[in-house]
Amino acid sequence: MRSTHQVIATLFGVLAAATAWAAPADGDWTMPSRDYAATRYSPLTEITAQNARSLHPVWTFSTGVLGGHEGQPLVVGSTMYVVTPWPNVLYAFDLAREGYPLKWKYRPNVSGTAIGVACCDSVNRGAFYVDGKLIYNLLDGHTVAVDAASGRELWNTAIADVGSGETVTMAPLIVGDKVIVGASGGEFGIYGWVKALDLATGKIVWTARNIGPDVDMQVHADTFKPAYDHGADLGASSWGGDGWRTGGAPVWGFMSYDPQLDLFYYGTGNASPYNPEQRVGDDKWTASVMARRPADGTLVWAYQFTPHDNWDYDATGAMVLADLTVGGKTVKALVHFDKNGFAYTLDRATGRLLSAAPFTPVNWAHSVDLATGRPVLDPAKQTGLSHGNVKNICPSLEGGVSPSSPPAYSPRTHLFYSSTNNMCMDYAAARASHLKGTPFVGVNAPYSAGPGDYLGSFMAWDAVSGKKIWENKEPFPNWSGALVTAGDVAFYGTLDGWFKSVDAKTGKVLSKFKVGSGVVGNPMTYRGPDGRQYVAVYAGFGGDWALIAGDARSDDPADVRGPADPVKSIARHTSLGGIIWIFAL
Amino acid sequence: MSAPIHECRVASLVPCVVAAVLLAACAREAAAPAKESAAVPPGVAYESHITAGGLTPPGGTLHNPHAGDAGVAKNGAQLFTTMNCDGCHGADAAGWVGPNLGDGRWHYGGSDAEVFSSIYYGRPKGMPAFGGALGAEGVWTLVTYLRSLTPPPDVPTESWQN
Repeated sequence: MRSTHQVIATLFGVLAAATAWAAPADGDWTMPSRDYAATRYSPLTEITAQNARSLHPVWTFSTGVLGGHEGQPLVVGSTMYVVTPWPNVLYAFDLAREGYPLKWKYRPNVSGTAIGVACCDSVNRGAFYVDGKLIYNLLDGHTVAVDAASGRELWNTAIADVGSGETVTMAPLIVGDKVIVGASGGEFGIYGWVKALDLATGKIVWTARNIGPDVDMQVHADTFKPAYDHGADLGASSWGGDGWRTGGAPVWGFMSYDPQLDLFYYGTGNASPYNPEQRVGDDKWTASVMARRPADGTLVWAYQFTPHDNWDYDATGAMVLADLTVGGKTVKALVHFDKNGFAYTLDRATGRLLSAAPFTPVNWAHSVDLATGRPVLDPAKQTGLSHGNVKNICPSLEGGVSPSSPPAYSPRTHLFYSSTNNMCMDYAAARASHLKGTPFVGVNAPYSAGPGDYLGSFMAWDAVSGKKIWENKEPFPNWSGALVTAGDVAFYGTLDGWFKSVDAKTGKVLSKFKVGSGVVGNPMTYRGPDGRQYVAVYAGFGGDWALIAGDARSDDPADVRGPADPVKSIARHTSLGGIIWIFAL
Repeated sequence: MSAPIHECRVASLVPCVVAAVLLAACAREAAAPAKESAAVPPGVAYESHITAGGLTPPGGTLHNPHAGDAGVAKNGAQLFTTMNCDGCHGADAAGWVGPNLGDGRWHYGGSDAEVFSSIYYGRPKGMPAFGGALGAEGVWTLVTYLRSLTPPPDVPTESWQN
């Protein structure tokens, strides 16, 4: 007979498991994209299109860190949790006290070497809260679990090898007792992967490559059913050689999960090197969406947005799960805004393409063939060493939208909200040699402004019709994530440092405030201990812009650069520096 | 008392691996005469170092066997690409995730010997040590290229007023 203690322990175990699966309380924001469907939609209604004009800042805090502040805070009950870029400090603010003083801060020992191995600034895309723990990744290839009450480190697991070009910037996904993580390194010729760690101990439970032979990819002939491709070892045979061994396919975006289908979804990054003539074939499964089982990593289906990636079109942007009405029928859809400039709607059970339409100026492909799932290419925009300097390809390799800038979906307006970029590029490929620990790129690709008198925008998108409903053009590429609420207000920040609230139905700007540095993070909203609705966002220019707009930096007297095309005036409006902002009515 | 100065040269025409061995020998030679401490390193001081008491510690010096050689500089420009230096420092070393190497401003000193040390041994924040892969001869070739870049006039002001 079991003892009472055993019964209670079992009950607690069941309760803990139930908590891990439940939707967050309506005033909380416990996971990076707020829910498993990655909608960044909040049911809070205090802030509306009618009253948002009186939004104003009520609190700020300097993180003390200069790297690009991507990601978003979490709020659980009366505590706000914030992860900074390298050195990946974790702050816990007490929202129940005046001035929101810290409960604790956690300062892991993160190697500075990782800064230069990370392709594009020392960013971090945030933590995931579950069962009293905060789980997040460190730039130097570790995953940590921290006790939410005390700030004490519970475990710290090495998951990636900086010496091989792997760094970690993504926010983990936690499903049940599995912590799912992946590595950046598409510019270093990594052999891209996802891994699952045990939530209780941090031990690595399974590893699945994104490219390579089936045995490495957790592909099994009887369960792998991609909609358009057939055959064994596609992740190796589609490379025309063994280029998959250094083929990239990093993981650095936001993941989603469908509990009914028991599939988690994520996008893979670019193929390495950027010179496509060094890897003949489709190079599966780079630039793809992957649907896997959390329990053992089994790949159930995959779909490649950009076969034989010629343009560094990572598909690491969020896969948003929404049930859409198409032709009178409800479809379990997956919607994705790709770097390649097309917005895709797929059946998330099968991976079959339902629609694809450009959301920003695109010229590398004319369209996407729904019968084959393949893009209809413009041969004049194919790149490679033998093509010389290919001029005016749109979008640029910064993407029609950055995967760092996740969209939002409102079940009230049935619209998706996303930042966009309007830039093009020239692409001169060069032969790249693989030398472990150094970049594996092989291109010179200067950017230019796209057509029209704007460089970016924030837009509302109808994924059923494949049409833009409204668009707010911005003078600079737009790099923030989106937030939408049940008050029918959408929120975004701009690269030149404005934080805006807009009417979700029309795009009309309701409020704006200059937040001290360019916004590359993602707004979120929560209900405070006082019952009021708040909106929080990071300011903190950086990410790719720390590289491109070197003149916006002020911290390094030994590295002085002039203004860069096509953002010659951005340094007039912003410099670096992380600030957390909280707004309220 | 002045610090002992030990100079040695790495021959310019020997293969990289041999050059690396020679460099190591050179380092030992530089260190050896400091009898009071067998462990004195052959490190190269860079210009912004300060010295306690104004006393410079003993150490080795290095001389670029190709200083000013335009042909070697041209080879170095090629090597800058084939060794993937441009992947971090950008085309023409104009800066990307790694710093601009053509602006005449340096984190660890801009003399031939200082630049040699940065490439040969690497630096914090992600600069790999290339000495093992390139040897001394390869590193001197890169140094000769970088030193051949003519920095633009150093204008510390950026203005948007006109």
